Amino acid sequence: MNHDPVDVLIIGAGASGAAIAWSLLETRMRILCLEQGDHLPDIDFPSRREDYELARYAEFSCDPNVRGLRQDYPINADDSCITPVNWNGVGGSTINFLGHWPRMRPSDFRTRSLDGVGEDWPVDYHDLVPFYDMNDRNTGVSGLGGNPAYPNYTPPHPPIPMGKLGQTLARGFNEKGWHWWPSDVAILSEHDDGRQKCVNAGTCDLGCAAGAKGGTNFTYWPMLENAGVELRTKARVREILVDEDSGFATGVLYHGADGQVQEQKAELVIMACNGVGTPRLLLNSKSKLFPEGLANRSGKVGKNLMFHPLTGVAGVFDEPMKGHEGPMACSILSQEFYESDPGRGFVRGYGLHSGRSTTPMTYALGGYGIDNPIPWGAEHREIMDNVYPYLAGLTVVTEDLPEEHNCVTLDPDLTDSDGIPAPKITYRLGENTRAMLKHGEARAEEVLLAAGAKRVLPKGDKVWWRAGWHQMGTCRMGIDPETSVVNGWGRSHDVKNLFIVDGSIFVTAGAVNPTSTIQALALYVGDQIKTNIATLFD
Amino acid sequence: MTEHRSNTPQSPLHEILDVLIPANRDRRIPAAGELGVAAFVTEAAARNPALNSALVTLLSRAGELADGITPHTVRQLESELPDAFRLLLRETYKGYYSRPDMRAKVGVGSHPAHPAGYEVPSESPALLNELTAPVRARGPVFRDPTGDQK
Repeated sequence: MNHDPVDVLIIGAGASGAAIAWSLLETRMRILCLEQGDHLPDIDFPSRREDYELARYAEFSCDPNVRGLRQDYPINADDSCITPVNWNGVGGSTINFLGHWPRMRPSDFRTRSLDGVGEDWPVDYHDLVPFYDMNDRNTGVSGLGGNPAYPNYTPPHPPIPMGKLGQTLARGFNEKGWHWWPSDVAILSEHDDGRQKCVNAGTCDLGCAAGAKGGTNFTYWPMLENAGVELRTKARVREILVDEDSGFATGVLYHGADGQVQEQKAELVIMACNGVGTPRLLLNSKSKLFPEGLANRSGKVGKNLMFHPLTGVAGVFDEPMKGHEGPMACSILSQEFYESDPGRGFVRGYGLHSGRSTTPMTYALGGYGIDNPIPWGAEHREIMDNVYPYLAGLTVVTEDLPEEHNCVTLDPDLTDSDGIPAPKITYRLGENTRAMLKHGEARAEEVLLAAGAKRVLPKGDKVWWRAGWHQMGTCRMGIDPETSVVNGWGRSHDVKNLFIVDGSIFVTAGAVNPTSTIQALALYVGDQIKTNIATLFD
Repeated sequence: MTEHRSNTPQSPLHEILDVLIPANRDRRIPAAGELGVAAFVTEAAARNPALNSALVTLLSRAGELADGITPHTVRQLESELPDAFRLLLRETYKGYYSRPDMRAKVGVGSHPAHPAGYEVPSESPALLNELTAPVRARGPVFRDPTGDQK
């Protein structure tokens, strides 16, 4: 294997690593990406198998602690009410994400100024708009233009079908006079560039074998590898190396497929391991210059972990809702309660997402992201025959506020299969979030009844356990090196040739799925690197 | 596809499974034991020591129950051995609903494997226009603190 120094070393081949590699292609620099997982050919996706649901509870679980594959690292979530979920491999979590693609809104970037909570971002919505648009084209995004919840924009493809469930709920929102809109999705509504449009099979989390879902395994990586970007798989980075004199990163130590440690030198190191993996690696990269972890003079690496705590409410209708027909998470999205309203008893807000229905096994086992099987016996028969087909539900997706006690640290005992310390999550729900969830549940119930539900199922009192898809804030951006890890364009305050482009640099969380913003930010950082290339390390 | 062969008919496990997921005779939906889920469970137990241990414990206790396998005695098993029972219940649901024919019978279609799918018609522009009209009529519902600076 060629270990000659490279110009750009990217760690992680998921959403953000792929996007920034694409942005930097035109520089003609030598780009290498190290990925701890491997390629997963779409022929191997469980969605191609008749017993695909079993994979959701085994080798294709979204929870790395359940999968336990060679490329996974364990996560200690004993001190958290939410456990992080992900995929490790080429495409990262875009392999098993659900493709919901809302943008953050303008107010999300100014929560301190507007609402007195969190911090303002050093960039704003309008800085990112060209990169949202660019990324939407590269990804193949479907949706309906003219959404009054945003400054005007139009996704490149028409919306996917809302279906009976979506139309029914939309009428409920209209009855209430509340905002809703067909969801923006990274799922093709029409054939595009060799990729097939969505076949509405409803198995998005088990790998989209149609290629309709815009995972970077289908979008960026084929393009990048054809263009000469080297993607080295089964390469797990252990530590980022730093020159004690200059304070610059010099490259990394990584474990190859055989477990042996290799060194790879680079002029520029870009981290794209998301909100748990990136702080884990920085905290494990200790040196005389950085005894508390690389790029951590602020002490903020790993702090301010944010998720999007979720809960769901379901109503039972008179007719089958056909919620199994179509992408499993995306039909319509209401942002009626997104912005702050002092009368609600909390700041910031939440979205009401219409999930479609889960498959029968998943429903019987408690629902997606929940381990709480439904009753057995006669009650089971009644539920599966006379309730399940008639369900339509809404998911309350809340904005999480940054709180320092919610954090990623290194577990003192637990390690991955290469002996690298595993991350430990310490996380509890804030009172603001609890108030939002309660408010959202009540509003969801109102909409379901307005849409014609004959009854609403009793709600649980817990947030979903496997809701840790969105991992944000643990290396946040900012202009002040004392309170942030990277500057306004992703460069470490402490290490001038180290960049971070994943969800860890979010300053606040918004209340929308973050992948479109993660990739837009990565493209923005790439653009800033190119713009500032002459003085990049000053 | 995982085929669940019929296990020994009327074995205690078979009977417990029939109680966990009973049949719906009107809709010709079989119970879990009847469907052969016992084979799925025992095969899973052979790969999973915790499940195997749970199964041994549950069946041993079931054999001691004078009334045989009834909903009442299964409830007793759940009460006395909750952790073991939960493992069996999960595996039973997995075995039963991983059958595509069972998925179809619960009235939601079988979630076809790729590349098959469902034909779902797109909403016509007229319908989208009608549905979104009230939303559009309200005008913008966002705050844009930096919009006028760009």
